[in-house]
Amino acid sequence: MTRLLGSAHIETLAREESVPGVLVRMVLKQAEHADSEEKMLLENALQLLLTRFQVMGGDDS
Amino acid sequence: MILRSIELESFGRFRGQTIEFRRGLNLVIGPNEAGKSTIAGAVPAVLFGTDRLERFKPWGRNVCSAVLFFEGQGRTIQVKRNLITDEVELIEKDDLYHVLSQFTGKAPLRGRSTSCREYRALLESLLGIADESLFRATYFFGHQPQEWSGEELAQKLRTLVSGTAETDYAEILDGLLNEHFQLTRRNPWGRDKQRDREYEEICQQLNEQGEAEPVETVPVFVEIDSSADIKEQIEKLSIELEGDHQEYEKGLRYIEHVRRQMPETSEHVDSTVVEGKPATLRTSTDKDNLGEQLAAAGLPQNPPRELPELLSEAAQVRQEFAELQQPFSVLNNREKKILTVPWMTLGLIVALLIAGIAVSWWQDFQFLWISVGAGICSTLFLGWGAWRQIERKKALAESRKERSRLEQKKLEAQKRQAGLSERCEAFGLPSSAVDLVRLQKLVTKHRELLEKCWNLAGIAVAESDACENGNASEDEEATEVGNASSDNDDAEKELLQLEALMTGFEAEFKRKELRLQNLRLQFNELSVNQDSRAKIPGTALHNRKRELEERITVLRKAINLLAGAVDEFSRSHLARLNDEASKLFGKITGGRYAAIKLDENMAPSVQVDGRRWVPVDHFSRGTVDAIYMSLRIALAKVRDDGRSLPLMLDDPFVHLDQKRLATTLNLIDLASADGQLILFSHNLDLGKRAARERWHVIPLDEDTVDTSSMEGEGHAGQLHLL
Repeated sequence: MTRLLGSAHIETLAREESVPGVLVRMVLKQAEHADSEEKMLLENALQLLLTRFQVMGGDDS
Repeated sequence: MILRSIELESFGRFRGQTIEFRRGLNLVIGPNEAGKSTIAGAVPAVLFGTDRLERFKPWGRNVCSAVLFFEGQGRTIQVKRNLITDEVELIEKDDLYHVLSQFTGKAPLRGRSTSCREYRALLESLLGIADESLFRATYFFGHQPQEWSGEELAQKLRTLVSGTAETDYAEILDGLLNEHFQLTRRNPWGRDKQRDREYEEICQQLNEQGEAEPVETVPVFVEIDSSADIKEQIEKLSIELEGDHQEYEKGLRYIEHVRRQMPETSEHVDSTVVEGKPATLRTSTDKDNLGEQLAAAGLPQNPPRELPELLSEAAQVRQEFAELQQPFSVLNNREKKILTVPWMTLGLIVALLIAGIAVSWWQDFQFLWISVGAGICSTLFLGWGAWRQIERKKALAESRKERSRLEQKKLEAQKRQAGLSERCEAFGLPSSAVDLVRLQKLVTKHRELLEKCWNLAGIAVAESDACENGNASEDEEATEVGNASSDNDDAEKELLQLEALMTGFEAEFKRKELRLQNLRLQFNELSVNQDSRAKIPGTALHNRKRELEERITVLRKAINLLAGAVDEFSRSHLARLNDEASKLFGKITGGRYAAIKLDENMAPSVQVDGRRWVPVDHFSRGTVDAIYMSLRIALAKVRDDGRSLPLMLDDPFVHLDQKRLATTLNLIDLASADGQLILFSHNLDLGKRAARERWHVIPLDEDTVDTSSMEGEGHAGQLHLL
């Protein structure tokens, strides 16, 4: 499991009833059966999306 | 969680007043200007802040603050805000008044500071909501529903159903798609774009440089292994040269020994040798010089006359290999594009049709017609599938034929290359592709030198024949002069033979040394090339191409993931929202309209006569209000997530007729059963109903407010009609 996918932030997000929540659950499910290369791709895609969510949501964190 | 009370310390026209609420339906009733909307607006203003301070700030006073008390699940939450300074104090306590969590700090409406984020995170965890816009759209229903119509409503609903306020996922998706199509024209979700983007331009540049796909286009002539080959050759040649050197030293020592054995005759023999072969020696000297020049130019010392022909053939073979790559690539792409037949889908369709026939037979309803129709449909679908399958087989057969033709051509080229390698080796030439390419360049460059060499070789052969004749006549003369010693003759002959052998050996030795020197130079050049490869423009393009490919892959993954997540979320939440809204709207309209549906753009439509879907703008104002109210209550229920905040309705019934008003009130009564609903209204008739239904009534009138606005006054007058 890579760093982002195993983080507490992701675990919290995965419990949310929201699009990010569904997204994180989808990524975690796909990562279960993925090789290291695919996991890296999933993590990069998730990171990109979470960054966009923060920008669009007006969060500057 | 319910709103237990609002303490209006200095808020609008209220001063030092506390309004208490209960679980279930609360009715705040009073005439216009009594302060209903102020109380209703106090909740979001205290929770999130406001940008309409002038609306709540008491005239002539510099204080504007209020406190909200929430209660539920064994906890109380107190939120106090000074609307002028935006100082907030939030305290969560348990039943024993132990403080569970607390926040004190500034938290303006659109603040982005750490303190604001901390406050919103706490609100989110305690009340399940941290955004004013979301609160207003979900739990707050004003008397101006027209502000929630058309595209604005659609966008708001889309945002709310997506689960996060102020985030439009369609916009994020558009942003990702835009970035993707700025990098490449390839469109995995539809037809390719027209114009080439950076990725295609780089591929084009690499193609023009002949470096587009180095491994695929010139697989036989890759330079990767040449340095290893050269290194191996250097090692082998070094060992050979070491052995040769030892042999040469031995030979020299032996010749010296033989010369010492015949001191008297040596001078004669030497002079004979020197005088007897002047032309041969001159040719030999020229040849040596030429050999050195050839070696310096990097050419073999004895270049065969067939060299240009061999090199030209090698170039042809290379060309053939390169030309074969393109058709193979096209063929692979064509094969990928041949679509498979969706037999599974067709099977499912046919199964459904059969099920339809079975149902019609069982229900005894139009069995014959349905059977005939289903039979025709099945035949058409299966026929289409069979036709597609035949087309696919044809396309595959053509592709296989083309592939076998190309394979045959490739095999022929490989055979030609093998023959060429054998011939090169027979002439002592290198057979690797890299060496041949380099040799071809050298041959073109030093053509004159080679011509000279080949001419000289012709002269040498002619002179060699002449020398043999001359030697024969000299031998005769020597016999006539007399034999000095028969033993010496034998020794001289042996010495001559040895010296000739040594000359040949020396030439061969020098040739090998030069070859070794050249190999070492080549090896060094290759090493330098490999080191500097990252610096040449072609490699930079390859690197950029790889970067783009990685970015495109990540973007595609992100787009697919987001589209999938939004789709899944919308499917589950939209379905629930449609269900809830349809139930509520059906009750309000007394079953006249059975269902409300939000399409993918969140535009509502209503089912009429049980089949037609009619857009919402075709209905009367009252019906439209009812539709939006159904949607809003449904949305609050869907988003509720068990935290059940109060639903606040600020005079939403102004456009409803008496019948619909009654039904709607029944509906909100039902909706308040498992939570809290605060209804603000100026309709005094509602008071009668409140008495019947045992609602909690909070009457407001101008006199009450005016009186209570005095300092030191306690609670606003509240009437509990039980």
